[in-house]
Parts: sequence; C-alpha cells; structure tokens
Amino acid sequence: MELSTQIGPALSRQPKRLSVQQLDSFAAGRLSCSPMLFFRAISLLQFKNYTNRAFEFNEAVTGICGNNGQGKTNLLDALHYLCFTKSYFSRTDGHAVQEGQKGFRIEGRVSLNEKQEKAVCVLRETGKKEFSVNDQPYDKFSHHIGRYPCVIIAPDDAVLVTGGSEERRKFIDSLLSQADATYLQHLISYTKILQQRNSLLKSFAETGQRNFALLDVLDEQLLKPGQYIFEKRKDFLISFLPAVRHTYHEIAQQPEDLRLVYESQLLENNLAECLQASRQKDLYAARTTAGPHRDELEISLGAQPFKQIASQGQRKSLLFALKLTEMDVLKEEKGFPPLLLLDDVFEKLDESRISNLLQRVCRDNAGQVFITDTNEERLKKHLDDLAIAHQIITLR
Amino acid sequence: MQFSSSLLENAVTEFAKLPGIGKKTALRLVLHLLRQEVGEVEHFSEVVARMRREIKFCNRCFNVADGDICSICANSMRRQDLICVVETIRDVIAIESTQQYNGLYHVLGGIISPLDGIGPDQLTIEALVNRIQKEATSELIFALNPNIQGDTTIYYIQKKIQAFPVQVTTIARGIAFGGELEYADEMTLARSLQNRLPVERYVAGR
Ligand SMILES: Nc1ncnc2c1ncn2[C@@H]1O[C@H](COP(=O)(O)OP(=O)(O)OP(=O)(O)O)[C@@H](O)[C@H]1O
Ligand SMILES: [Mg+2]
Ligand SMILES: [Zn+2]
Repeated sequence: MELSTQIGPALSRQPKRLSVQQLDSFAAGRLSCSPMLFFRAISLLQFKNYTNRAFEFNEAVTGICGNNGQGKTNLLDALHYLCFTKSYFSRTDGHAVQEGQKGFRIEGRVSLNEKQEKAVCVLRETGKKEFSVNDQPYDKFSHHIGRYPCVIIAPDDAVLVTGGSEERRKFIDSLLSQADATYLQHLISYTKILQQRNSLLKSFAETGQRNFALLDVLDEQLLKPGQYIFEKRKDFLISFLPAVRHTYHEIAQQPEDLRLVYESQLLENNLAECLQASRQKDLYAARTTAGPHRDELEISLGAQPFKQIASQGQRKSLLFALKLTEMDVLKEEKGFPPLLLLDDVFEKLDESRISNLLQRVCRDNAGQVFITDTNEERLKKHLDDLAIAHQIITLR
Repeated sequence: MQFSSSLLENAVTEFAKLPGIGKKTALRLVLHLLRQEVGEVEHFSEVVARMRREIKFCNRCFNVADGDICSICANSMRRQDLICVVETIRDVIAIESTQQYNGLYHVLGGIISPLDGIGPDQLTIEALVNRIQKEATSELIFALNPNIQGDTTIYYIQKKIQAFPVQVTTIARGIAFGGELEYADEMTLARSLQNRLPVERYVAGR
C-alpha cells in the first residue's frame, strides 16, 4: 500500500505564498532587526580543534572561511550541539573533546523572540553531559529539541538520498521532533519498548521458553506511541512530499518525473493488527518485523529507483529540495525561520546555482544562516552581488 | 599508591570495592580503623560479617528480616489487606520513613526488562500472585519508578491477577517526584502515597 505524491489535495501545510504587504514588512524587518532566533555569540572550550575561543555574530548571514582542516565544520557542529544537545557528525560526545583534554564546554548567547538566553552544553571529566538554558539544567535533553529549530546540510548528507531507509526515517523524525514535542516523546517510548520486545523475542529463541503474556503486554505498550508516529508521519507527508517535489523542480529548472512515495504497513492495517498478523514471523525472525520502524520513503525517477539512476547533480538537487522544504515547514510550524547551517554546499554547483541557492536561503528565508567555504572570494562576491549583508569569519 | 604493609594494602583494596569509594577514601577509612582499639575493630567486622551471615529474607514479602517473617509482616497492627509493591528493599526503607503507610509490602527484586535479561521469572511475581489469592488483598499499590519498564511490570502483574477482586493503584508518579523513589523526599513521597491513582485512569491519562 502506498501514499503517493499524486494523492494530496490537502496541501494545507505547504508554505503559504506571502502577500506583497507581508513581503514588504519582511524586508523592513530584515533591515531593522535580526531574526526571531539569533545566535549572538558562542564560546568554545576544549571543543575539537578549539582550545579556548569565542565568536560574535552580528549579521544574519555569517560566512566561515579558511583552508581545509581549520575548524569550519567544527564551528557548525558546536552550533548544532546547542540546538540538538549533540553532534551532527558523531554519536559519541567523547569525540568532540579536544585531544589530550577531559571534557568540553560550549556556551551560546541566543536571542529568541527578543529575549536573551544563555545556552550551555558541558561534557564533564566523568563523561557526564549537562545542558542548561539560563542556568536551568534539563533533566531530559529531549525537552530542548525544537527550542532552537535548525536545519543542517553537510557533504555526507547524500546518504539521505542514496542510503538505506533508516536515513530517511531519521530525517523525517528529526523534522517532526522539532515541530512536535509529543512526537519526539512517543518516538523515544516506541524505540525503548521495541528494544525490549526484540530482546524478549531473542530470549524466546535462545531459551525455548515463551512468555506470551509478557509479549502481549509489550505489544499493547507499543500501540499508542506507534500509532501516533504513523498518523503524524502520514498527515505530514501528504503535504510535505508534493512540496519537496515542487522545490526539486524549482532547483532542477526542468521537468523531471520525480516520485516520492510513503510506504508503511500501517496504511493498510492498524498497528495492533499488524503485530498480530506478523507474530509468527516475529517469533521465527526473533525480532519485530512490523511497525513504523519499517516505514520507507521511496524515491524514483521515472520507473527507476532514484539512487540507481540519478546523476550527482540530481542527487544534490533532491537533497537540497528535502532540506529546503524542511526549512519552510519549520518556519511555518514555529512561526519563525530555523537556524541554517550549510557546510560546503557549493561543491559541484555552477555559479548560477550557487546564486539561486543563496538567494533562497539568505534572502527569501530571512533566518540566520552560517555558510562554510574554503573560497572566501567566491562567497563574498556572491553575497555582495545579491546585496546580502554579511559577516565573514576567517579561520587560520 | 605505595604501601609499606601488604596488610594495609589488602584492607584498602577491599574498601575500595565498595560503591562510591575510591582509593583515597578507602585509605582514609582504613587509617581511621587503625587508630581504633583492636576490640573496637573486631566488633565492627563481626557486626558486618554477622549481618551478611544471618540476615534472612521474609518468606512473605521478601523484605530483609531477622527470622522467617519480617517485623513489618509480623506486626498485626498493620493493615493486612494492603500491599505496596516495590522494586527493592531501599524503597521499603524510603516509604517507612514517611510513617504514612500502614499496610504491607512486596519486594519484587527488580523490574521486568528483557534487555537486561530480567523476565518475570527472575522476580517474585509468582509469589505475589499467590499472596493476593491467599491473603484476600483488597488493594495493590504500585510504587515503581516512572518509566517504561515500570509500566511493563505493572501491566504484566495486572494481567496475572485479573481474576481476583483486588483494586490496583499506583502512587502518583512523575508529578509527585522526579526521579528515583529512593531520592524522593519524605513529604513528596507521603503525598504521592495519599494521592494514589487507579491504574486504568493512570494509563489513560498519559
Ligand atoms: N577531538 C579533537 N581534538 C583536536 N582536534 C580535533 C578534534 N577533532 C577534530 N580536530 C581537528 O579539527 C580539524 C578539522 O576541523 P574541521 O572539520 O572543522 O575542518 P574544516 O575547516 O571544516 O575543513 P574542510 O575544509 O576540510 O572541511 C582537523 O585538523 C582535526 O585534527
Ligand atoms: Mg569541513
Ligand atoms: Zn515481610
């Protein structure tokens, strides 16, 4: 069963077109004040290649330039830490600690809806991580997600288009978690219960003892979060997928038969039925074979799977289409534009595409943007040509 | 650390095995004992050894006991039809400190977590089910930590005792105290014991 881009009449969530007056007030706003979410400064202690360093940001657009290995990506990752309480590039916080040191500290000064905030992420010598806003520590880091909405595009993100289905689930989950705190809580619960269920199935297989009463309990516990995750994804993708397609065509600037299809077992049966129907299979496989953790976003070009046939440029266009549409959605949901972190995005783009991209993310979006580039002259020239006020930080 | 005596070193090593005790603290404790009279220290080690050797677990509730039945179960002034289900002995101590609870306990010895290799059979669940049947329990109060495994444990036990006319409640979790039961202060714990919720309602309200 599939939910295709062709279905959607319900485009309610597609970014609304702005009226002329709104555009004017946006432009005026841009000149006079900074965006609703604005990182004013960041200081880094023993974070990757930064022993002790502070940066201030004064313009909505900050270019981060410098040769290879100077710490451009690391600075973006520090900003990512403040938005998501973790690195974009590594699962282990320890990797971010400067070699030979124990622990790091990232402190940001952020204005959010014209209020000043201090966000601090500390990894203690013991390996314990702490995260606080205005000196109020979170007991659950997940409660911070969505406070500083953020979209990042990095060179390795092509896996989103070419990799396995979990990459695309992760993308959708990250987007929905920032937009809807309840979604994130259900996702966390679902994942924990699923792990317990898989362990139980494994122990059934290993010991030959099967406590079905316990399996029933775990199944029941899965229903509420699992069904919520599915409903949310379904409602969201109905409008999101056509919007991605639209953005893709804008970027590609020629008609292409891109198809994006949400596939889920839950489109046909509810989770209770799915779990019931696949129980024998689960017992045999010793893991859970049905549920939203198996959802897929299928992408094809014409009749072929996208990843098999698409050129590098087409992959890049689709990646941008996904991320830029994410940006639009977060802006719509939050009422203000998310932080944008663009790492080496100009690679393999011709001059006019670079210009188009900058136009879209720096002018039309009106949020705060950080862009890294080894080529300072190129970046400066493009921003100047588009009359985008900016600040350049040169690392050496 | 360098020691001129292997006797000293051995003692420090043993103390350092205790949770939360590092080498430095271990040394401080051992040096303290060294300053005591020999008889004092012998008394100390004998108390510890005897505690471990002679302690028993209550046949009825699995709390610590001096005999076959613990002092709580043996106290006929306590309500015999009320059972508070807890994870560990520490929880019993925490709830007793509130002096607000006048029923009995049942110590599970953990919570269900297949990920950690703990299934119903590793816990005292079967004994609990038998107790409820035999003792004509009127109310079962769950005082487990508010997390997914806690929920799994509650639902599982609830399933097992469906046939008996016993009311199932849980102390007001999450709202009343953030975090581990043993760290909850006495006031909040006492309040959450008084404001307990029927399990059905608690589940629906989530
Ligand atoms: N934990 C760490 N401790 C010390 N140095 C680190 C640590 N992690 C990374 N580095 C250093 O940071 C540098 C890489 O920084 P980064 O990836 O930000 O570079 P970049 O400016 O983005 O370069 P490129 O243009 O190649 O993408 C490397 O020189 C690396 O040695
Ligand atoms: Mg880089
Ligand atoms: Zn007892």
